[in-house]
Amino acid sequence: MSIWLRTNAWRHAVIISVCLFSLFPLYLVVISSFNSTGSLRLDSFIPREISFANYKMLFNDPTIPYMTWVKNSLIVAGATAVLSVTIGSASAFAFSRLNFKGRKTGIQLLLLVQMFPAILAISAVYVIMERVYTFAPSIGLGTQAGLLLIYLGGAMGVNIWLLKGFVDSIPKELDEAAKIDGASAVQTYWLIFMPLAAPVLAVVALLSFIGTFNEFILARLFLVDMESRTVAVGLQQFIGGQYSENWGPFAAGSIIASVPIVIIFLSLQRYIVNGLTAGSVKG
Amino acid sequence: MTSFFTGKVSFVLKLVVVLLLSSVLVTLTQSAFAQKEYFIAGFLAITILLLVLTYLTKISIPLKFFLPGILLLIAFVLSPILFTVTMSSYNYKTGNIISKSEAIEQIKNRGFESDADGTSFDIKIGRYDNQEAILVSDSINGAYFISTENNRIPLIAQDLTVNEYGVAESAPDFQTLSDAEMANADEIYSLKRFKYQDEYFIALEGFEVGIVSRQVLAFDEVNDQFKNIISGEIYTDNGRGNFAIEGSPDQYLEPGWRAPIWFENYTKLFTEERLRAPLVSVFIWTITFASLSVLTTFALGLLLALALNKPIRGRRVYRSILILPYAMPSIMSILIWGGMFNTEFGAINNLLGTDIAWFQSPTFAKFAIILVNLWLGFPYFYLISSGALQAIPSELLEAASIDGANPRQIFRQITLPLLLQILSPLLIASFAFNFNNFNLIYLLTGGGPRAELDGELAGATDILISFTYKIAFGSSVQDLGLASAISLVIFVLVASISMYGLRKSKVLESFQ
Amino acid sequence: MTKKRYSAVGFVAAVAIAVSGLFVPSANANNEIVVWADGDRGPNLVKVLAEKGDWVSGYKVTVKSFSNFDALKDAFDKATDASGPDIVMGANDWVPTGAKSGKLAPITLTASQKARFTSGQLFDLTYKGKLYGVPVDVNNVAMIYNTKLVTTAPKTFGEMVNYYKANKTSKGLKAGLCVAGGGMSWGAHSIFSALGADAYQFDARGKIVYDRSFNGTTFGKNVRTFLLDGKKSNGFLPASDAGCKDNFLDGTVPFAIIGNWEWKDYVAKGFTMNLMPVPGVNANKPGKMFGSVSGALLTTFAAKHGVEAGAKSLLTNFFGSTDGQVRYQKIEGRPPAEKGAALDATVSAAQRGFGSAASLSSIPQIGAFLNNNAGGANYWDSAPAYWTAVLVDGKDAVVEGNKLAAIWRANTTAGKSDL
Repeated sequence: MSIWLRTNAWRHAVIISVCLFSLFPLYLVVISSFNSTGSLRLDSFIPREISFANYKMLFNDPTIPYMTWVKNSLIVAGATAVLSVTIGSASAFAFSRLNFKGRKTGIQLLLLVQMFPAILAISAVYVIMERVYTFAPSIGLGTQAGLLLIYLGGAMGVNIWLLKGFVDSIPKELDEAAKIDGASAVQTYWLIFMPLAAPVLAVVALLSFIGTFNEFILARLFLVDMESRTVAVGLQQFIGGQYSENWGPFAAGSIIASVPIVIIFLSLQRYIVNGLTAGSVKG
Repeated sequence: MTSFFTGKVSFVLKLVVVLLLSSVLVTLTQSAFAQKEYFIAGFLAITILLLVLTYLTKISIPLKFFLPGILLLIAFVLSPILFTVTMSSYNYKTGNIISKSEAIEQIKNRGFESDADGTSFDIKIGRYDNQEAILVSDSINGAYFISTENNRIPLIAQDLTVNEYGVAESAPDFQTLSDAEMANADEIYSLKRFKYQDEYFIALEGFEVGIVSRQVLAFDEVNDQFKNIISGEIYTDNGRGNFAIEGSPDQYLEPGWRAPIWFENYTKLFTEERLRAPLVSVFIWTITFASLSVLTTFALGLLLALALNKPIRGRRVYRSILILPYAMPSIMSILIWGGMFNTEFGAINNLLGTDIAWFQSPTFAKFAIILVNLWLGFPYFYLISSGALQAIPSELLEAASIDGANPRQIFRQITLPLLLQILSPLLIASFAFNFNNFNLIYLLTGGGPRAELDGELAGATDILISFTYKIAFGSSVQDLGLASAISLVIFVLVASISMYGLRKSKVLESFQ
Repeated sequence: MTKKRYSAVGFVAAVAIAVSGLFVPSANANNEIVVWADGDRGPNLVKVLAEKGDWVSGYKVTVKSFSNFDALKDAFDKATDASGPDIVMGANDWVPTGAKSGKLAPITLTASQKARFTSGQLFDLTYKGKLYGVPVDVNNVAMIYNTKLVTTAPKTFGEMVNYYKANKTSKGLKAGLCVAGGGMSWGAHSIFSALGADAYQFDARGKIVYDRSFNGTTFGKNVRTFLLDGKKSNGFLPASDAGCKDNFLDGTVPFAIIGNWEWKDYVAKGFTMNLMPVPGVNANKPGKMFGSVSGALLTTFAAKHGVEAGAKSLLTNFFGSTDGQVRYQKIEGRPPAEKGAALDATVSAAQRGFGSAASLSSIPQIGAFLNNNAGGANYWDSAPAYWTAVLVDGKDAVVEGNKLAAIWRANTTAGKSDL
């Protein structure tokens, strides 16, 4: 017992207290979502009532197009993830495997560009998309297509850079062998490289999906219409309103929106950790 | 299978995709050109050219791979950066956001005054003598006339159809508009000025009412100045985006336009005390916040990684619980924490039995921010530290323990230095990320509390990026030019930090 | 092969240009007037327009609603030629900024149209001699008291405080007076004013005095006497508006300041309340509230969209007419600005009551002063900051009062040029 105490007790003590720290806010949201009073208060650790009023409100109240928000988020984040990985991996492959003039300069430039925090150029992006709106209203300011383009472009630097890191780590022997067999670069890419990199690409896509899902400020600035908002922007207004703070529906809404992401994250955590060590910081 | 990528099928497929894409792009180019967005039109045209050449010829194989990525980068990263640079040299703020020609147009439109009596008439719009005209009923004097831009034709009441209110409905030679003409009438008629008498004219206020006014401000295109016809004052371009009376800079016409002021937005940062003082304190807090965030999250993450480095009971469950904060969408978490810190209705005061106004006191607000960021960020460092711990060769540790070192010594002299070496690029990346952690600050405290009564511009928890956002999109004055200048300064700072980090990780040397 | 590829390039180019010809946008005649409004007014406008939509013949009116007033302001601040509205339902203090940045366009009313409004209402929407919209509703607050708790109307501020102190424990009061409508800046002006701090000063003839502010020391001392207990708040006035409405309805706060648009919510709860201004330190000198109008404001985008004449007609035919305001305010429930509508029999007594309360004890809401931040902060930021500093942080009421006075004086002096 005393050995157990010395070697393992402190571990359990530390871990359990940190676990409580991580769980507390989450537990609070769960019980608040079943509480009809609308505050984020802890009256007792065991919920006094289980009410589904908040959930019902999300689905039945015509002024809260919650499902539309969820759909918008899924579309924007999903499309960003798939497209950015498809486009990014091709570029990464070129930078990593092909020899061409200006490659080194290209990489250095890319490195510099990917350091520019997208948020800094927010006013410029805003003005540009404003102008795009004047001739192409379907992809300009206020549209999801426009937002998608900005996400794609904004994340491209980081994505290429990150993916290049992965591509570098895949042994070169395989595609060099293919080259000797007379396959062109395009063939090598599709037939040898893609199958090899698929799991890694899936992880990067997932991280990109989560990152986009979490994006708030551009989405808030760009999507003005109730119907076109993403879930994060839509829910924020319950508690960002001037005169009222309505935590009940917010809690319910954030639970519904978060649970799938949490599940995916937990089930794929091993792969994600690899992605993290390669240097991506989740937003 | 290989033939799929070289054969005819693939070529046709490629042709169709390129065809569709370029059709869309050509359409966009045309409409961009029509809207006088020449930069965008030019970019689109080059895009089409490159697309077609790259994918349908064999000009360059690498280009086939990175063209889409590069184009997106140029369109949405590089050009905004360049645009930010341009904006930072402009006087681009509330009151000076439109172009000069628009500003002149609007000053002209506002530069009129009604006659002394505020005379107004009931009118009908139509055409007379093939010109836009209005049929005017002066019901007070019982007079009627048709007015075009340059002529006024008196009418005799007997010739007209007049309704019950004494308003003329039609007159000989006066054609009312067809439905098709009516559809475009608004644009044409609302800009026209119809002859009344002397310098007075009639302008439309809606389709049924005309107001008698005269122009007060006249634009002199040759000298690029406005003249007040009545008082004789001359307003000249003051070079800062306004027409102003020379010698009295406070007397200027509104609206102004965006005008280049070169480096003024940058020099302002250092010379204007009202701006420099908050910038210095915000900068200090930004550095403090970013360092403390990295330090606390790393320390807790590492502690957990060490605690879980042994196979102990329930390790998998613990691990899953510990990364929960990281798996939650951070937006939701931040907002939830914000609610928990509410003074009256929040769970934190509730739990502690206190009634602290968390976001009203700078110290408590800063503490809350660090705490929330710790919650959000420790799982990341826990995950990567446990990965890194496994990467440390166990022989090294065993050898040390055989040499008689105790666990604490081993940790301090071997494990920690090695870990720091492995993780330093990630620590620096995390620093750079927190340096611009806008979401956390904006959603949790909004940068506050701010001592408004002491005239502070920035809040106690504002970091550079949230302060910049306030300048660009704030409530009373929106100064995009100044915000762009600060953005670029931040970029230089962050880029230096990241470059340092990369040099540490020796990434730069690995380019062959 | 190469030759074939180049011919493919040519083929693509030809087809692309041909196809794009089909999509070239044709310049359509525009006859849609777009109105932006907040989450309360927008849906009600939609209802009214559905009831009768032909206010301007040949035009279709589209209403776009934003979730709340802040969101509307945010969107309008960022509105552009392409996306902007033709008419926006905004507050009167939007006029100076909107006019300065070239987003609002002037309109001229005929003498008979002008006669439908008071000169004060028109002044509220005027900037440098030009009118930018038509007044639609009167916005003000009033104090209500719970007649189950308080039987006679208090005559002075002190009476309310004494009532609170005497009944705090026996009746379980959570506060004495709280602000339920309009927030701690706009809604709380009558409390500032009751204790001696008006946002700007008027001389005996009713003219604004630009170089003077309220007496910070007198005000601070009043705050000490009535709101503080030593250095701490005595609990009479909470520093934030959170929970005020619920507490009042629960009977745990006897006095509350509410906005005229909220009255119907209180009535719906079956309460008996009385409506009055906030009593001052001395009897018969009640605190003044902001009496302002919201208006339908014309934008410069209307001209760019080619609907300026239509938008102007909509402003006069619908927003500024008796018929339009009666129909709209029947649903919206605010006091109508237009004289005919204000007297209309179908407008409720409370709507009229608030309207007349506004004329009794109010000062105009002058954006040029209130939005100015020459003193370091505008009114909207500095007013709630005072309550926080004194009631929450325990800072000295007199010192902070003098700071506040200095800020408001600087703002008023600097704002003069914007009138």
